[in-house]
Amino acid sequence: MIPSNFGYVAPTTVDEAVAALAEAGEDAKVIAGGQSLMPVLRLRLAAPTTVVDLGRIDELRGLREDGTDLVIGAMTTYYDLLRNPLLGKHALLIAEAIRTVADPQIRHRGTLGGALAHADPAGDLCAPALALDATLTVAGPSGRRSIPAAEFFVDYFTTALQPDEILTEIRIPKHTDWAARYEKFHRVAQSWSIVAVAATVAIEGGVIQQARVALTNMVSVPVRARGVEEALIGQTANGELIRAAAEHAAEGIEPMTDGNADAAYRSHLAKVLTRRAVATAVGA
Amino acid sequence: MQLEHQLSVPAPIDVVWPALLDPQRVAPCVPGATLTGVDGDSFTGTVKVKVGPITLLYKGTGEFTEHDEQARRAVLKASAKDTRGNGTVNATVTLTLSEEGDHTTGVVATDLSITGRPAQFGRGMIADVGGKIIEQFSACLSEKLAVVVTEPASEPVEEPAAPPVEPLDLVHYARRSALKRVGPLVAAAMLVLLIGALVRRLRSRD
Repeated sequence: MIPSNFGYVAPTTVDEAVAALAEAGEDAKVIAGGQSLMPVLRLRLAAPTTVVDLGRIDELRGLREDGTDLVIGAMTTYYDLLRNPLLGKHALLIAEAIRTVADPQIRHRGTLGGALAHADPAGDLCAPALALDATLTVAGPSGRRSIPAAEFFVDYFTTALQPDEILTEIRIPKHTDWAARYEKFHRVAQSWSIVAVAATVAIEGGVIQQARVALTNMVSVPVRARGVEEALIGQTANGELIRAAAEHAAEGIEPMTDGNADAAYRSHLAKVLTRRAVATAVGA
Repeated sequence: MQLEHQLSVPAPIDVVWPALLDPQRVAPCVPGATLTGVDGDSFTGTVKVKVGPITLLYKGTGEFTEHDEQARRAVLKASAKDTRGNGTVNATVTLTLSEEGDHTTGVVATDLSITGRPAQFGRGMIADVGGKIIEQFSACLSEKLAVVVTEPASEPVEEPAAPPVEPLDLVHYARRSALKRVGPLVAAAMLVLLIGALVRRLRSRD
């Protein structure tokens, strides 16, 4: 289908984009890589008056180090991220998740910022961002502010971003040389995750020093599996330990039920995928 | 698809019952709803829903096809159509109230059928969004009815001007606990739920 008519603005700086968004009013919509928004526009499920395209804002692209953090411009594509060795070195979990996203065409267009701002519960980058304690910087008419990932995801497709704000960068504390694995379950290669697990661990001499585990598509937002993390930390990594720790994956979570899976099945998947993700990450 | 929600209103059943049957009273309590006309037991209206990038405007009619004051049971049939052609929603809502001291509890049983794109979406989000809407509805109604009870002298003949309509917006949902205007016309609420369902599987890769 053809989208409804809309105005189109393509600013070249963040300040211009914020001004354009404010001017366009509440029915404006920001477009990043367009891999989620375009289908919605074409189905006419959204009919914004104005689309503000961030594609020409160079300052929003790229990956850099800043002290103990890795800073990723919101408009950096998956493809560009994967090509940058800094990502694998300091945030391997993000790279692992990106490798599972859709297909090469979508990875050339889709952006990390777009995925996080869209906040699809089945989106594959939200749980890794949560697991790595990312902080999201947003720009609005009253300046910039930072939002921790744990407070950013509010509900289905809904974030702490206000309608007049733009996500500008994702700041991830360096998890240098941590092992990581993103394990997802879906029915066909390019379908959305029914459940997925993002796991990353710091391991030294066979002992797990630190662990972060987060789950995709269990509820309307990504969630941490703290029970698993606690069961892993300080222990010697082996199959038995990981199997026992994974049993805590769905603790305290009331998974949603939809056409793909009911709550009990989601809990089951969370345990199985957690076991696989941690075992693969540590090579056990 | 069948949905069931509970209501609890801190007001006597004799106050709650007529309020539930009065579209003028109830419509302002539905997030995003505007009542465009009332004619006896039937009414027309619109419900605007916004979930993430998706904005839908449903337009339709509702009618109380049955109300049994003895049993405190009413049946409402509603149907609506998205103004941009994203399908239709039909709902049959059965409301049953019961008295618990000076409180009123209720069961809202809804039979939903969705045509068009929404039909392919899963049920998880509908149930979830539905629960929130009924929660808001209940809170709004409780607030409005509590006012009626404490000021019995002023017969609410002239309802205050309808507050500005805002679409159901999940972003602001959680925070607007004051629920100044969110009320529930149960039927309209159900329409809103349906719309929420639409959103569920709108993806590039489907």
